[in-house]
Amino acid sequence: MLRFVKFTFLILAALLLQVTLFPAYLRDPFKPNLLVILVAYLGLRQQSPMGGVVVFLLGLLQDCFSGLYLGLNAFTYLVTYIILRQIADRLYTDSRYLMILVVVLATFGNGLLQLPLLLLFSAAPGVYAALLPALLPQALVNALATSVLLAFTHRGGTVEQK
Amino acid sequence: MSPLANFWPDMLELLKKYRIHLVTGGVLLLAFLFYSLNLKDREHANLFERIVLNLTAPLHGGISAVNRGLAGVWNDYVDLVDVRRENKELRESVKILNGRLLESREALLANERLKKLLELKNSLHVPAQAASVIGEDGAPWFKTITINRGEADGLQEGMPVVTAEGVVGQVVKVATNSSRVLLLTDNASSVAGMIQRSRARGVIKGKGGGRCSLEFTLREEDVKVGDVVVTSGVGGIFPKGLAVGEIAMVKKGEYGIFQTIDVRPAVNITRLEEVLVLLQRREE
Repeated sequence: MLRFVKFTFLILAALLLQVTLFPAYLRDPFKPNLLVILVAYLGLRQQSPMGGVVVFLLGLLQDCFSGLYLGLNAFTYLVTYIILRQIADRLYTDSRYLMILVVVLATFGNGLLQLPLLLLFSAAPGVYAALLPALLPQALVNALATSVLLAFTHRGGTVEQK
Repeated sequence: MSPLANFWPDMLELLKKYRIHLVTGGVLLLAFLFYSLNLKDREHANLFERIVLNLTAPLHGGISAVNRGLAGVWNDYVDLVDVRRENKELRESVKILNGRLLESREALLANERLKKLLELKNSLHVPAQAASVIGEDGAPWFKTITINRGEADGLQEGMPVVTAEGVVGQVVKVATNSSRVLLLTDNASSVAGMIQRSRARGVIKGKGGGRCSLEFTLREEDVKVGDVVVTSGVGGIFPKGLAVGEIAMVKKGEYGIFQTIDVRPAVNITRLEEVLVLLQRREE
C-alpha cells in the first residue's frame, strides 16, 4: 500500500513539474519528459503484472495535459513498455548507464511512434517539422534528468543501507 | 626663689607638653596664611602651580591618551556587539524590503497587463472572461496551455482567446474550473485571416516552434514583409480585425497558385500570463 502511495505521489509530482514548473524555467525543446523516464524504469526494473495498466494510465494522464489527442501517449507508452519488458530479461538492468541509454532510446521511440499516428489520424500534417527537431534535445535532457535522479536514488539507497 | 626664676622652665615644660598641638596649629596657620595671601591673585598661576602643571602635563597627556584608548576599545567592543545585532536586524529588514519591492514590481506589471486586457475587453463589445495561465504543454511538439477558467465560468470549446497584443488561440478542452487552449502556433491550429493593408485573405496555420504561415493566399495578391495580419471574421470563431501577427517572409514561386508566407505572431506565447476568453459561441 505504501509503495502504491509513493508511486502515485511520484507520478503526480513528475506530471506537475512537467506542466507547471519546467515551462516556467526551461525553453522548448529542453524540457525533460519525466513520464518517459518512469515508463523506461517500469519496463526495465519493475516486472509487475500491473505495469502495463500503470503505463497506459501514465500516458492518459500525459494526454490530458499535452496535445489534443487523448490516447496518443497512452498508446506509445504502452508499446514502449511492452518492448522493454520483452528485452529486459536479457539485459543487465541494474546498470545506471543502461538505464540512461534506454531512456534516450525510449524518448526517440516514443516520438517516432507518435509521428505516423499524428500524420495519419490528426489534422496536423506539418507536425513532423516540430516533432523531429525536438527529439534529440529532449532525449539528451531526459538522459541528464535520469542521471540526476539515479544519483539521488543511489545516494538514498546507500544511506538506507547504513 | 622668685616666681620669675621658674617661668622659663615652666614654659618650656608647657611647650613640650603641647608641642604637637602647637605645631599643628602653626602649620594650619601657615596654610591659612598661604591661602589668604594667594586670594588676591587667584586668577594667575603662581610659580608653584606652574612648576606642578608643567611637570604633570606630560603625565596627564599620557594617562589621558591611554584612558582614551581603553575607553575607545571598550566602547568599540560594546558598539560592535550592538553593531552585530543591528547588522542582523538591518539585513532582515533589507530582505523584507526587497521582497516587498519585488511584490510591488510584480503588482505594477500585473496591473499594467490587466489594464490593457480591460481596455481590450471594453473595446471588443463581446462578453469576455479574464483567465490566468496555469500550465503549459508537456511535449515540445504540441502548443497548448492550461488556464484557470472552465465550464463554471461560462467557457466552451471553440471560444477565442486573445490578449491586448492579439490572438492567442482557441479553447479546446473544457473542464469545470480549467480549460486548455490550442495556441495559434500549434500544427492543428487554423484561423481565417487577411492582410490589413491589401485585404488579401488566407488561412493562418500554426507551424510549431512559435511560427505560423498564411496559406491559400493567391499568387497575385499584394503581400509584403511587415504587413499586419488580422482576423478576417470568416468562420465565425474570431471577431474581425484582431491582430494575429506580421508578415516575416513572402515567397512567390514560378509555379503554383499560392504564395508561401511566414507570419510572426503578434503575441509572444512563451510569456503568456493572463488572457481574455471571448464568451461567444461559434456562429452555426
